[in-house]
Amino acid sequence: MNKISQRQLFFLLGCVAPVGKLVILPARLAANAGGDLWIPALFHVLVQSAVIFCVLLLAKRGKSFYELLADTFGQIIAKILSVLFALFLLYAALLPLLEQQIFVRGVFYDTLPSLAAFSPFFLFSAYLCAKPLASFGRVWDILGPMAIVSFAGILVFSATNADYLAVLPVGSAGLKGIAGSTALSFSWFFDSALLIPLLGKIEYKRGAAWKGTLCYLAGGFAVLLFLVTFFGIFEGTAGNQLFAFTKTSKYYSAITALGRIDYVFIFALALVMAFYSALPLQGSIDCVLQAFGKKRYLPTLLSIGVNLLFFGFTVFFDFRFNLAMEFISQKLFWIFPVFTVLLPPLCLLLRRKRHESA
Amino acid sequence: MKARNLIKTIPMKLYVLLAAVILFAFFSNDFGLVDIQKTAVILAAGVDRSEEGFTLTAQIAVPKGSDRSQGGTSSVEIDAEGKTISDCVSLIFSKTGWVPKLVFCDLIVIGENAAKEDVISYLNYFLRSEYMPDSCKLAVCEGTAKELLSSTSAIDDASSLAIDKLFSDAAEKSGNVMTNTLKDFAIGYYGASKSGYLPYIRMTDQDGSQDPAGGTGGTGGTGAQQSEKIYSAEETAIFSEGRMVGLLPREQTLAFSLLKGNVEAGTLNVPDRDETVTLSVLKNEGGIDLEMKGAPIAKLDLSVMVRLCCRGTTAPMQDISSDGVPDAILERAKTVLDGYVRDLWQICKESGCDLFDLRRALYRSSLKKYAEWKDYLLASVTPEIKTEVKSMK
Repeated sequence: MNKISQRQLFFLLGCVAPVGKLVILPARLAANAGGDLWIPALFHVLVQSAVIFCVLLLAKRGKSFYELLADTFGQIIAKILSVLFALFLLYAALLPLLEQQIFVRGVFYDTLPSLAAFSPFFLFSAYLCAKPLASFGRVWDILGPMAIVSFAGILVFSATNADYLAVLPVGSAGLKGIAGSTALSFSWFFDSALLIPLLGKIEYKRGAAWKGTLCYLAGGFAVLLFLVTFFGIFEGTAGNQLFAFTKTSKYYSAITALGRIDYVFIFALALVMAFYSALPLQGSIDCVLQAFGKKRYLPTLLSIGVNLLFFGFTVFFDFRFNLAMEFISQKLFWIFPVFTVLLPPLCLLLRRKRHESA
Repeated sequence: MKARNLIKTIPMKLYVLLAAVILFAFFSNDFGLVDIQKTAVILAAGVDRSEEGFTLTAQIAVPKGSDRSQGGTSSVEIDAEGKTISDCVSLIFSKTGWVPKLVFCDLIVIGENAAKEDVISYLNYFLRSEYMPDSCKLAVCEGTAKELLSSTSAIDDASSLAIDKLFSDAAEKSGNVMTNTLKDFAIGYYGASKSGYLPYIRMTDQDGSQDPAGGTGGTGGTGAQQSEKIYSAEETAIFSEGRMVGLLPREQTLAFSLLKGNVEAGTLNVPDRDETVTLSVLKNEGGIDLEMKGAPIAKLDLSVMVRLCCRGTTAPMQDISSDGVPDAILERAKTVLDGYVRDLWQICKESGCDLFDLRRALYRSSLKKYAEWKDYLLASVTPEIKTEVKSMK
């Protein structure tokens, strides 16, 4: 079976995972916390890093999530818990997919295009979801460097126009503003949960846990740097700037003269984001497959079913994005800390049982 | 064996076929592009207050045709009166059948009357539009924006193109104009200072005679013969809480540019006995700082490096080419600049415009002091002006 190498895992944690936080999250944080937008993000980065460290320690055991559960609770409860976790991943996938949809329609078209404009994404996603999750390590090998170069390009173009002192004074949003922003941004930081379906597929080598955590921290700090740059450019109007990473670089003097050459980087990041948006769907299907075995057409059928369902969601929420975002990130935000902060460290308590050799 | 392999690959073939069909449907909609023949490419927009609400004047680019001798861009001005800006845009669409496109709009002109109310109440339309560049230039004009945009420029095909030249980097570096963009103006408005500035455009007949009504009042598309106009933007309108509260004359515009450290190729007239000498500014550094130890003090520092450019009278050849500007002229230049900055400070203080972002500086340094001083800061702060004029050696 294909295994995900350490390098591939680090690319996922340090380069692919941060990309999902660059679209709507910066504006949401700026609208709620103003110049303190980096504080909730810092909280999440630190918490997720600690949880990722725990998950990577679990990866050391070389067992899948289902196997770990089955060793402790038996097969029936393990199946139920796996399906429950798969459902959470589907829930977590909704916001990034809707975000991706309004991003594609808002940025790549000069008028509001038809609904069909985003539908090809589900062809792509259906293909990814039908493939074994572990085989995507090679994709991260390509996406990682692509994300680094594109992100650096956008940041270089943006930094010259940012007034970094705009984030002062620290604490201006007050405890209530910061706490509220922290709660609503849980739905963007679920990276530890994305690693759970990868358990048993990671080629664990000595030191992988802390190295992986450091990679995630590096990616997280890149997101913080972007948030501060973003606020430094837009200040009091930042809350109005959806699709943050497509906007910060456009004021660079060379772009005024040459046109939007930064779109090269924006397109590259959009590609990385497409893979990142499909990842929770892949993870969800993989959790079900772990529990029920890889029967012949099951991956294909699950992939078609899940993608049809999400296509339906994108149609239903077409003009209800704010409603969906409010529901997921405000009303039911607490679901995220349960599955992404509490659950993974608890898995460390699962019983250690040696595999019985056949 | 072959048959089994064929059956195995059927799902993938079906998938590829489905993908091809969907992609064909996807690419067949021209990516939602609107036919250029049905599109109004808006070069500039003008906003005026009217009885109903607003008058929006859109200067729309019209290609001149393929004849090279007549190449370039001509324009037509369409105006619409509505309750909101969005209403006006819809009316322009229904009047012309052209889909108004703001994506190339590089200039928004606000009429004098409209500038006296909270401008963000209508600029928000442009600010929130995903299809409008927020880097577009913003300006206030004498009279109405409709008159300005409908006037015939003496130097360019369209009035907005002529005005755009006034806002070039070179013009800004001369210190004669302080340009601002929609984004930066909005940042000032929503920030702690709640203040801002915009260039103020005046229109004169080409022969130099001042138009008493601020323009001939000709409207686009009427076919009436108009006198050709030239434009100037040497004055600066200053704003507090989105309302125009004052006007900086040419000299104070220069002083403001120098305080911002923008000037690299400007000129400064200095009296020298019975004549006037012109110094060219080669290098400029400026800074504004707020000191809150004890009574608040605003430190306005500017430093310029100059050389003698010309005199109003005949002078020996070596006068201008000789090393350095005489100390007496440097001293007078310093006095002149001190006066400009002092007047600038006085205008801002009287109008309540926090042009130097002092409230923002206080907000960033201490929330507590900001809460204590924000309402009285401008009235209480004492300016400490420090100018330095150096000669190129």
